[in-house]
Amino acid sequence: MNFFDKLHETFIVDDRWQYLTNGLKITLLVTFFASLLGIVLGFLIAIVRSTHDKTGKLPILNAAAKLYLTVIRGTPVLVQLMIIYFVIFASFNVSKVFVAVMAFGLNSAAYVAEIVRSGIMSIDNGQFEAGASLGLNYPKTMLYIILPQALRNILPALANEFIVLLKETSVAGNIALNDLTKGGDIIRSATYEAFLPLIAVALIYLVLVVALSKLVNLLERRLAKSDQG
Amino acid sequence: MKKTLGLFTAALLLGAALTGCSTPANTVHSKDDLVGKTIACQLGTTGYIYAGDIENANVEGYNKGADAVQALVQGKADAVIIDSEPAKVFVSKNPSLTILPDPFTVEEYAIAYKKGNDELGNKIDQALTELKADGTLDSIVGHWVGDNADQVSYTSPEGTAYNNGKLVMATNASFPPYESTVGGQVVGIDPDMMHAVCDKLGMELVIEDMEFDSIIAAVDSGKADVGVAGMTVTEERQKNVSFSQGYATTTQVIIVRAD
Repeated sequence: MNFFDKLHETFIVDDRWQYLTNGLKITLLVTFFASLLGIVLGFLIAIVRSTHDKTGKLPILNAAAKLYLTVIRGTPVLVQLMIIYFVIFASFNVSKVFVAVMAFGLNSAAYVAEIVRSGIMSIDNGQFEAGASLGLNYPKTMLYIILPQALRNILPALANEFIVLLKETSVAGNIALNDLTKGGDIIRSATYEAFLPLIAVALIYLVLVVALSKLVNLLERRLAKSDQG
Repeated sequence: MKKTLGLFTAALLLGAALTGCSTPANTVHSKDDLVGKTIACQLGTTGYIYAGDIENANVEGYNKGADAVQALVQGKADAVIIDSEPAKVFVSKNPSLTILPDPFTVEEYAIAYKKGNDELGNKIDQALTELKADGTLDSIVGHWVGDNADQVSYTSPEGTAYNNGKLVMATNASFPPYESTVGGQVVGIDPDMMHAVCDKLGMELVIEDMEFDSIIAAVDSGKADVGVAGMTVTEERQKNVSFSQGYATTTQVIIVRAD
């Protein structure tokens, strides 16, 4: 078989390219909602943790958050995914996409939380005092003064986390969710030809990550501009 | 901290209480009932390939046969199509499952080797013929399948010399009784048979455990010399590798939840 025959066999026969396009949709869907869940939950945890660090309030929530971070960061995401699918939802027939969003979202939240906390802690304590002297209470100081500055500092680290998240979703195939990587695996198992499906899958991930990095660069530049103005 | 832990435990207990009482009743009683159902399989197996031909069926390819069976137990799938011998093992370990009496298909297992490597292929064929004739193959199978199965691995005859190098065998050790991992060793009918074949060839057997759908690629690319993993001869596979004579007849069966 020459190269073009292989290309034909891998992507055209039986409309096999659709495994990749459908898989790409699932990968994007899971990544998008998982990062939303990660951001919301991650920010909440980070605010609880840094509030406790700064003021000593919320001891119970802080302990719960610490336990969560330890468990989630101490176990591999594949194991967490399998536990959510086969143990937590053992007797419920829930959508696999939902399971994947939960697993990757809950996992990502732990990392986002620590990134955001490092951002909040990086802001000088004088900024809190400035807020207080302006008559702002703690939540308002946090929302209007601290978080906007923290966000700009942590943007590269956050972007990195979402790039990792996008690539980590490739283990979703273990619960028979047909994501991009699984799409390539299905083609491989039908054609017994490893090169083309794997390279195609790798290229698609690469394009996604490069596009994501470009977007973040753009955002960083915008924020830098508004800083000068 | 105590309060959170308490709540957490309560939630876990609630989840445990709900487990097992909400699996849907079985709806598959014959091959014909599979139309439009969710069928769990192991990706790349013949069961997975055949399931794809069933009308409107939603075929889910798991990386391991055991995961497909687990999905069936939990009501995430309506049926599993898998080879008969592993099916028996899975059903014996899950009393809530049963195998439908009518087989899905009948097929034959063979050893895969790199296309064009007919020298090795002929040697393997000859060794297989001898092992079948002197009863060694039957005795190996008897250790793993049937009423007297004692799961004792084959031992090489004393004084066997291994002067002809190594033979690398690619397999997927999650397919009992053909191959599974016990105490860190890959054991079963396939490794035993290949040990016997290698004794005939004077070669040392090296076993590489990998995902089932990687085996053909490993043989094709020369990373392994042979693929032995309860592998059925199919047209698609023959495009990429050659096969020895068959060494076992088997059936694909349908596993469902018992009524």
